[in-house]
Amino acid sequence: MTPAHPALAWFHRSFGARVVALFLGLLALVQIASFSAIKHNLREQAYRELPEALAVAERVMLARLDAQAEQQSQRVRVYGGDFALLSVIHEDAETVGSLLEDNATGRTGADEAGLLRLDRSVLASSGKHIGPLVPRVQHLFDAASREGSASEVTMLGGSLHRVVLAPVKPPNDKQLGWLLMSFRLDGRLVDDMRGLSKLHFTLLAQDPAGGRRQLALSSLEPALAQAFANDAKVGDRMEMTSVHLLGEELGMRVRQLDGGTVLGVVSASIDEATQVPRQLQLGLLLITLAAFGVFAVGSLYTASRVTRPLRTLARAAERLGSGDYATPVRGVDRRDEIGELAQSFESMRISVAEKQAQILRLAYWDALTGLPNRAQFRDAVASAIAGAGAGTGESPTPVAVLMLDLDRFKHVNDVLGYAIGDRLLQGVAERLSREVMREGDLVARLSGDEFAILLRTGEPTLAASVAQRVSRAFEQPLAVDGHKVDLGAGIGIACWPQDAGDADALINRAEVAMYAAKQRHQGALRYDPSLDAGSALTLSLLSDLRRAIEQGELRLHLQPKLALATGAVVGAEALVRWQHPSRGMVPPGQFIPFAEQTGFIRQLTIWVFEAAAQAWRELHADGTKLVLSVNLSVRDLMDQDLPLKLELLLVKHRVPAEAFCLEITESAIMDDPARALGTLNRLAAMGFKLSVDDFGSGQSSYSYLKQLPVDELKIDMSFIRNMDRDAVDAKIVRSIVELAHNLELSVVAEGVENARIWELLHELRCDQAQGYHMGKPMPVAEFRPWSARWVEQRALPARSPGATLLH
Amino acid sequence: MNPLHLLRTSCLILLAAPAVARAAALVVSVTDATGKPLPDAVVLLEPATGKAPVKPLPDVEISQAKRQFQPRVTVVTVGTKVAFPNFDTVRHHVYSFSAAKTFELKLYAGVPAAPILFDKPGLVVLGCNIHDRMAAWVVVADTPWFARSGSDGMARIDDAPAGAYKLSAWHPGLGAGGAAPVRALQLGTVEQREMLKLAVEALP
Repeated sequence: MTPAHPALAWFHRSFGARVVALFLGLLALVQIASFSAIKHNLREQAYRELPEALAVAERVMLARLDAQAEQQSQRVRVYGGDFALLSVIHEDAETVGSLLEDNATGRTGADEAGLLRLDRSVLASSGKHIGPLVPRVQHLFDAASREGSASEVTMLGGSLHRVVLAPVKPPNDKQLGWLLMSFRLDGRLVDDMRGLSKLHFTLLAQDPAGGRRQLALSSLEPALAQAFANDAKVGDRMEMTSVHLLGEELGMRVRQLDGGTVLGVVSASIDEATQVPRQLQLGLLLITLAAFGVFAVGSLYTASRVTRPLRTLARAAERLGSGDYATPVRGVDRRDEIGELAQSFESMRISVAEKQAQILRLAYWDALTGLPNRAQFRDAVASAIAGAGAGTGESPTPVAVLMLDLDRFKHVNDVLGYAIGDRLLQGVAERLSREVMREGDLVARLSGDEFAILLRTGEPTLAASVAQRVSRAFEQPLAVDGHKVDLGAGIGIACWPQDAGDADALINRAEVAMYAAKQRHQGALRYDPSLDAGSALTLSLLSDLRRAIEQGELRLHLQPKLALATGAVVGAEALVRWQHPSRGMVPPGQFIPFAEQTGFIRQLTIWVFEAAAQAWRELHADGTKLVLSVNLSVRDLMDQDLPLKLELLLVKHRVPAEAFCLEITESAIMDDPARALGTLNRLAAMGFKLSVDDFGSGQSSYSYLKQLPVDELKIDMSFIRNMDRDAVDAKIVRSIVELAHNLELSVVAEGVENARIWELLHELRCDQAQGYHMGKPMPVAEFRPWSARWVEQRALPARSPGATLLH
Repeated sequence: MNPLHLLRTSCLILLAAPAVARAAALVVSVTDATGKPLPDAVVLLEPATGKAPVKPLPDVEISQAKRQFQPRVTVVTVGTKVAFPNFDTVRHHVYSFSAAKTFELKLYAGVPAAPILFDKPGLVVLGCNIHDRMAAWVVVADTPWFARSGSDGMARIDDAPAGAYKLSAWHPGLGAGGAAPVRALQLGTVEQREMLKLAVEALP
């Protein structure tokens, strides 16, 4: 998940932000819930109370209308007995009219007034509406006679009026006529009602016959009032009904007034009634804001209470990560979870610091002898050189490195066991430390039985004398657990700046000198460039060899092995040839010894084995049954993984182990017979044939030979080559053949260079022969034609050397 | 103090007033509360002490036309007779309940038989019994020096001799019981100008 927005990314990273968000979110939920509850309650309450409120308002409306009607009726009744009116009633109509216009309306508040004769005809009137009104109010005359007045609300000239009819009658006299007056009802009426009840009032005029409704008065805004008039459902309803008009929900009650000429509508906005009062809203808002503030501060504080120590711990962890184990972790005195975490960090810091110290010890000190190890030795040499170089400048103080390797230490381990071997190494360390007394000089154990001495200010002559002293010290046998062990050591000396430019080169060259000393059995030897196998030429050869494998410059050659008894081709020795792109065919003698020295031989062996496996598959496909011999070097024998590698190749190329004979030189076996034996046993168990190569040239121990799981001895060619001329060689060959046969081993002779030797070997009952006389090593492609030719020649006895010999 | 009462008091003092020598004009500019010229205001000039002799005015008439009295404000001296001719087609019923003169001319058309004698100083308010909107005022003055302001609000009194006076003014807008401001005044021999502001709202 990759948050797109930086703020979002920050939010995901910040624990504090999430805590604050959680708190505020929960608070917002609570506030929304309580607001909803309040709103819901208000709505419930509104629905409960609204019908009652409407009913009350309706009563207010009726009472107000009644009161107004009574007031106006009374005025008209009183005016019916007014002296001025009575004094003019018998005068001319114009005078009466002027009175109606002036006094009558002025004193009663009526809009228009009319004086009717007893026969209900109009005598005079103050306005034009009275005349047409008379026929419409005929039904009022009886009531007016009976009650003293009668009134009705009706539309007159487009607006709502109350018309009042009352008799004109002097006190205690007969009635003289009728007084008909109209009072216009204006907006003040509904506004008064609204003032009393807070609800809205609307009066609709209704034509009783046609049912056509007309808006008369309303306290509502005009559009809504008109909507009421237009709404067909507005009838006489005693219950509250709700109606949706212009997107607003209204509750209303409708009442017919004055016999159906007028509808009184009481209404209230349900939305308004259910709205949360502004004051409450404001209060809630303030509470919410205050709570948000408090929660924000509180949660920030809480989050920081958590995150600050966490950040402290994170910084402590970073310090630990960057290797600072000295600063104690803070916050361990807290008693909460974070305190526990801090304590864990602290104990981790302590244990890591201890481990670190231990690792440093292991890294720079040899555990067995307590001496500095190779790494420390190298650093010491480097700093000695740096210190010497940083001196006066004209002639730097020389630095010398002595390197020594114990002779025959492997034998000690093999014979006396590793415990004694270890004790011996400790003894050597003590002895060396005794010999090197000078301040600043250093004795180190580099590996196994390899020790080194650093001499600061080590003149070559001083180095030579120290080497001599060490050699002499080794002349005394070392006593270990009652065993007296004779020790010798090869010592190599290299001096800076004469022999090398830097610490690594100096150590390497001391090592080179040491190997040379051991080889020559000289006690101590100073480095000389002529000793160096690691010269520039060697290095280029090594990289060339590597390239040779990668680029396919190596070629497999096969040299046939023949059965002496039958002359049949029974096998071949696999040999490597190097087709160098610029140097042409490189002879094996120029790169095999070098490969052995550098260890590169292991890759070569694998290459040869794989190439031989492929060749075997090709030849086998033609029905040729051969055993191919592959040479193993001492390095191969020491490689614990060799059997596994060979196994993988067998599987890869689907070749049986029996198809191979692995040749090991005598000297390779004798270098570390115990280890070689282990490897050979495993190889034999896999099914490989094993052969001892160059037999007779080395110092074979017959006790080992007896143990070896070998099938074949291959007589060193130095004996074979001259056996036709040298009787001693011939005798040695005879002895070896007999020895081998006695040990039930087969014998191969190599270096068969003429028919005479073939003949002699045949007489000695040697089993197989190999040599230029029969066939030189040849490319795999040529091997089959050669075999064919060989079989053909053997069929012609005169021309076949083998056949000749057989007779 | 009631202006009617004041007028009456002035009448009583009239006999003691000294003879005066020469006369000079007094021009009074009457304004309403907002400073606009106020027509139909009555300005009376009375001697500070004593009383000046008065004689009745001849041929004074307050007619009724278009259901209105004409003129609305009339100033007469004590003892003046006023006729009330009705020029409307409708009948009128003129009456007054004022203390200075109570009378009634019942529903009539044309000219009533006898004029009405105003024999007491003071304010007389006239009405019509069948036309409540009709109203007129008669100020019965007990001084020979009076004037009614014209449409420019100016009232001019020409023949008052130099001396100490009380200047007062009244207007229907003050109401029948409205306080008429009284100002002490020394008249010289040259024309003198006075400003009087009455607490009358601007008339529509």
